[in-house]
Amino acid sequence: MTDDGLDPLIHVPTRLKIVATLAALPDGDALSFTRLQDMIGLTPGNLIIHLRKLEEADYISSKKSSNGTVSITTVALTGHGRAALGAYTQALRELLGGL
Amino acid sequence: MNTTPGTTADNGGNFDPRQAAALLDQTTQQARRQLQPSPPWLLATRAVMVLAALGAIWLSVRGQHPYRGPTAADIPILVAFIVINFAATVAVRRRATTGVSGRSPLRPAEITIAALAWVAVVVVMVALAVAGVSYSLYPTTVLIIPGLAWAAVMAARKDWGNCVTGLAVGVVGVAGLFAGPAGAWAVAGVGLCVVLLGRAAFIAWQQHA
Repeated sequence: MTDDGLDPLIHVPTRLKIVATLAALPDGDALSFTRLQDMIGLTPGNLIIHLRKLEEADYISSKKSSNGTVSITTVALTGHGRAALGAYTQALRELLGGL
Repeated sequence: MNTTPGTTADNGGNFDPRQAAALLDQTTQQARRQLQPSPPWLLATRAVMVLAALGAIWLSVRGQHPYRGPTAADIPILVAFIVINFAATVAVRRRATTGVSGRSPLRPAEITIAALAWVAVVVVMVALAVAGVSYSLYPTTVLIIPGLAWAAVMAARKDWGNCVTGLAVGVVGVAGLFAGPAGAWAVAGVGLCVVLLGRAAFIAWQQHA
């Protein structure tokens, strides 16, 4: 945690956008890598770096599938990631409420 | 490495909590809008269109004694409404659900149930007509089976918002049976308009919650 109680893994603009975008999906849904990239507006390399950090913390899960010639990577927020975003949002509220 | 405004503060050190709150709010609302297969604006537009199309037909049939049904001039209005509605729905839904997988997209079995519901409508309407039952002339009769089938499919998914919408469509269908064949056009127009506006308001509220 940072000094102000904010999860340092989420408290980064790009990763906050990734987590917030995935949280907009209903529970049990996943988003393709290309759609997520399109929505966030990042280069593939940049997005991969941030996704890897989130996946290492078990905030997101990714799955690769192939239908013959095309390989598709999908990304979803895990229950742990959803809870972390909830805690982060709560910490932000408390912090801003106190300012 | 490419940098964007989002990566300059990779350790979050310069990321002010106020900026974070604004970014979180903005991203959440933007994502909800982009991923919504039935956006409020589409539902509201559909509500106005259904009221206009069915209202126009009601105006042309309300003076009929005995009731003969929509005139040849009314049919293009109805067909245009159905075609525009279908095309807009498919286009918006396709754009919203691109790249989305998991539980939200309709499964083949659910699509089959919805299609069978419409087949059932045709069978029931023909059976009623052959039996000489006047309800075969009521436009709202066609709403009952698909409305209830949709409610059942959505209840199985625990999607209560869509379930209520399906039930409401079914209720509009039943209510029309008490309005007479001409009055049923007005009931269908007003009823579906209210249902669609209600759904639009609910989704708009969800997006801003």
